[in-house]
Amino acid sequence: MQLYRKKRIELVVETARAKAIIEMIDATGAKGYTVLQDVSGKGQRGIRDEAHLTGLFRNTMIIVIASEEVARQIVERSQVLLENYAGIVALSDVEVVRDEHF
Amino acid sequence: MLHIAIGNLVSPMILFFVLGVLSGCIKSDLAIPDAISKGLSLYLMLAIGFKGGAELAASGAAGTVALSLSAALVLSFGLPVLAYALLRWLTSLDSVNAAAISAHYGSVSIVTFVAASGFLGDRGVPYEGYVVAMLAVMETPAIVSGLLLARMSRPDGAGAPRTPLLSREATREVLLSGSVVLIVGSLLIGWLTGKDGLAIMAPVIVDPFKAVLAVFLLDMGLQIGRRLGEFKAVGWPVVAFGLYMPVIGAAIGLLFANAIGLSAGGMTLVAVLAASASYIVVPAAMRHSLPKANPAIYVTLSLAVTFPFNLIVGIPLYYKVARMLAEMSGG
Repeated sequence: MQLYRKKRIELVVETARAKAIIEMIDATGAKGYTVLQDVSGKGQRGIRDEAHLTGLFRNTMIIVIASEEVARQIVERSQVLLENYAGIVALSDVEVVRDEHF
Repeated sequence: MLHIAIGNLVSPMILFFVLGVLSGCIKSDLAIPDAISKGLSLYLMLAIGFKGGAELAASGAAGTVALSLSAALVLSFGLPVLAYALLRWLTSLDSVNAAAISAHYGSVSIVTFVAASGFLGDRGVPYEGYVVAMLAVMETPAIVSGLLLARMSRPDGAGAPRTPLLSREATREVLLSGSVVLIVGSLLIGWLTGKDGLAIMAPVIVDPFKAVLAVFLLDMGLQIGRRLGEFKAVGWPVVAFGLYMPVIGAAIGLLFANAIGLSAGGMTLVAVLAASASYIVVPAAMRHSLPKANPAIYVTLSLAVTFPFNLIVGIPLYYKVARMLAEMSGG
């Protein structure tokens, strides 16, 4: 089967910032994204999990698969939005079946 | 002060709260599911709003209402200025963190208010229904004060380009926050439908009210118990602020309420409003608008220091002083 090379950007960000990140992703022209609410884990800012009263210590994961050009833009612009906020941004190579979807 | 607190301690509400704190502390896996906790808080807001509205329909009193709402505005705008001055004077916090914390103390804790109304209900003490409207009024002005304080204290403040204090998105989030919409909406529905409306709603919003509050306080306790480890990061001078600021706020609230001529119950609730600190709406707004302030400090302070203090010591203390004031003014 024919596969097409794409980039996968994985962003684990503070939920307070998720909306701004998603708007930025839309603005870059990416054709879609996947959002995983309330992910937990541990990092530089200690354990991040449910503290559902405030919602401040939660993370959201956003996955985007896009062309290399769009992917680089997303990575770059995310750094401006994540200044002073918790965030992990990683870029990797993937292969997809449906070229036109990404 | 101790015996007042002990008297208040022997209620299921407080005991469930303590159970929550202990289980959180010892890292038990006891947890209230997210959706249920949200549902309970919506229930409490609806109930408190509706009852306030129904009471308002029964009593009326138009002139005092306007005066009370203006007092609420003044308190919410003004208390952060006082809090900021105290923090800068008595702690080593920088101006951004001090400004972020100060906004919390001008705003209100809905659950503390609800607990205080339960406390008064237990003792058969009536209160003016429009105090609930004061609660809604006080939630957001403090955010504006806090952001102004942060802006004024910034060294580059004068020359910096004028960006809006709150982004449009943040403004909408704050003004149309679910809690404000639900409390004001329920207040209006309670006011419009009056006694007949209350008769319909009472089996759900009056009788089980305290039991639901007890379950919600269990959840609050759990979340607070898990945060106790953060005290060290907050620093003791700041923790102390979380204990004396509510007393100062309550004293100011009592003076305002006494001047307006509220009943002992109404004065107690205004004291609670002025004493309590927000831990839902304001932290979210501060995270958006003052990202440099440390959320671990402001959330821990209002949630794990001031909330338990008000719940256990504050409410009975403010009630006692309110009763004395009411007696002095010939009640």
